[in-house]
Amino acid sequence: MWIEIIDVIISGLINGSVYALMAVGLTLIYGVSKAFNFAYGSFYSMGGYIAFLMFGAAFLNNYLIVFCLAVPVLLLLGFVVEKLLVAPLRKRDDWEIKVMMITLGLALFLDNAYQVVFGARMKALPTILEGAFEAGEFILSYQDVVIFILSIGGILAFRWFLNNTRTGMSVRAVAQNPMGAQIVGIPKEFVFAATFAISTVMVGMGGILLAQKYFVTPTGGWDILVKAWVITAFGGMGSIQGGLYAAFIVGMLEAFVGWHFGMNWTLMALFVVLLATLAIRPQGLMGKWG
Amino acid sequence: MDYKRIGFFLALIWGVVALLPIFFGSTQFLMHILIMCLIWSVVASCWDLIMGFAGIFSFGQVAFFVMGAYASAIISAKFGIPPIFAVFLAGGISGAVGVLVGIPCLKLKGAYIALVTFAVHMILEPILKGDIGRALGTGGSRGILTIEPMSLFGYTFNASAPIPYFYLIFAVAVICSAVIYLVIRSHWGTAFLALKDSEDFAACLGVSAFKYKLMVFALTSFLTGTIGGFYAHYVGMLSTRMLGIDLFVTLMVILVIGGVGKFPGAIVGAFITIAANEMLSPLGPYRPVILGAMVVVLVLVLPDGIVGLVEKFSGRTGSREVAVKST
Repeated sequence: MWIEIIDVIISGLINGSVYALMAVGLTLIYGVSKAFNFAYGSFYSMGGYIAFLMFGAAFLNNYLIVFCLAVPVLLLLGFVVEKLLVAPLRKRDDWEIKVMMITLGLALFLDNAYQVVFGARMKALPTILEGAFEAGEFILSYQDVVIFILSIGGILAFRWFLNNTRTGMSVRAVAQNPMGAQIVGIPKEFVFAATFAISTVMVGMGGILLAQKYFVTPTGGWDILVKAWVITAFGGMGSIQGGLYAAFIVGMLEAFVGWHFGMNWTLMALFVVLLATLAIRPQGLMGKWG
Repeated sequence: MDYKRIGFFLALIWGVVALLPIFFGSTQFLMHILIMCLIWSVVASCWDLIMGFAGIFSFGQVAFFVMGAYASAIISAKFGIPPIFAVFLAGGISGAVGVLVGIPCLKLKGAYIALVTFAVHMILEPILKGDIGRALGTGGSRGILTIEPMSLFGYTFNASAPIPYFYLIFAVAVICSAVIYLVIRSHWGTAFLALKDSEDFAACLGVSAFKYKLMVFALTSFLTGTIGGFYAHYVGMLSTRMLGIDLFVTLMVILVIGGVGKFPGAIVGAFITIAANEMLSPLGPYRPVILGAMVVVLVLVLPDGIVGLVEKFSGRTGSREVAVKST
C-alpha cells in the first residue's frame, strides 16, 4: 500500500516536471505577446519525430547528439514560424483570433503531414538510460530519474536565462510593459520571435523526453496542448511561477485520480478542478488581468 | 457593410441557393453535399455571431451541435415524440447547456473562455461513450445507428429523395440566418459590438454584459443544437467521431474563408469550404494537409475573407465602424 502511494507520488512528480517544462513555454508566449499558440501540441510531436529521425540515422543515435541538434532546429523553426505567420497579423486589431486561427491551421497541417510522412503508427524511442534502482518492493527506473533531472534542469536554465542574460531581461521587460520596453529601445518584434522560439524548444524537449514513455503519434500533441493549456489557465496565464505550481498539482492530481479511479477520469477531474479554480479565481492561481 | 447591404446579400445568397436544385437535383450525391453546406452554414453563422460579433471565443459550438444531434435522436426514440418537435426540444437542451457554460465564462476573458468552452468539447466524448451516456441511450462508442426520419404533415422525408429534404433544411437555414440578421440589426447587435470594442465603456453606458453574453450563448447554442437535431434525422446515424478535430477545423476554415464578424460571409464560406472539401477527398490523407495549409495562407493573404475581398473592390470600409454609426 505505502509502496504504491510512493510510486504514485513519484510518477506525479515526474509527469509534473515535464508538464512544468511545457506549460512554462506556453505561458511564456501568452505572457509576453498575448498570443495563443494552438500549434503547441504539434511542436511537441515535432520534437518526438526529430528524435525518431535521428535515431534512424546510424551515427546520430545518442541522446546527447539528439539534444544538441534538436535545440537549434526547434529554435530556428519557432523563430521562422513567428516571423512568417504570427508577426504579420499583429498590426490588425482582431489579431488575437487571427493568431488562434492560423496556429490551428498550422496544427492541422503539421499533424496530417506527420501522418503522411511517418504513417499513423506509433513510433517508439529507445530509453535514455536502462536499468532501475531497486530496494525491496520499491522500484525507480533510471529513465524516470533522468527525465526528472533534465526537465528540472531545463526549467532552471530557463530561469537563469530570464534573470541573467540581456535577452532574458528584455523578455521580462516586454512582458511587463510592451510600450515601455519599446521606448527604452528594446526590439519588441525580436523579443516576440525569440520567446516563440524558446517556447518551441521547451515543448520539443518535452516531446523528446516523454516520447520514450508514451510513444510518438501524429495527433498525440492535442492531449499535451490541452494539458499545457489547462495548467497555464490554472496557474494564471502569463505567470511562470503559477504555471510551475500548477504543473506539479496537475501531475499529482492526474497520478492519484488515475491510480484510484482509472485513467479515463483524469481529464474529467482536471477540468472539474480547473472550473472550480476559475470560478473562485477567474485569473488563475497567480495570474493578473491585462 | 451596413444592414441594408447585409440583408441584400443574404437575400441574394439564399435566392441563388434556392435555385441550385434545378441544376444539381438529379444527382443525389451533389444534393447531399448541398444539404451539408446548408447545415454547416447555420453552425458557422452561429459561431460567427458569438465569436465575430459578440467577441466571445467560444470553441464549444461543435459540442453544442453534437449535443443537439444526440438529444434529438434520443428524445424521438425514447419518448416517441415526432422528430419535428424533438429537434426543437434538443435545441432547448443545447441552449440550456449553453447558458450553463456561459455562466462561468462571464467572469473570464479571451483565451480562458476558449479553454472552458473547448473543455466542454473535450469532456463530451468520454461522457457520450461512458456509462452515463450509455444509460441515456447514446450507444457508447458504437453510436446511434438508427434514427427516425423527419416527417411533417404525414409526409416522411427520406434521405434518398433529397430535393424535399433540401428545401426543408433550406427553410430552417433561412429562418436561422433571418434570426441572426435580426439580432445583429436590433439593439442586441449594437450592444454586442459595444461590449466587444470596450467592455468597460459599454458597461459605463449601462449595457449589461451579464445579460447580453448569456443571451448570445443561449441563442447560438439553441440554433446550433436545433440544426444538429436536423442533421441527426437527416443522416440517420450518429457517432462521437464528429467530435474529432477535423470537423472543428473545417468550421474554422469556413469562418476564415467567409470572414470573422462579416455575417453573410460565413454562409458563402460554408458552401465554398464544404464543396472544396468534397473535391479534395480523392486526395485521401493529403486533404487535411492541404486544408491546413489553406487556412494558414488564407489568414495571411485574405484576413477578412471573401467579404473583405468584396469590400476592398467595392471601396467600402470595414463593417464595424459603419455598423455602429448607422444606428
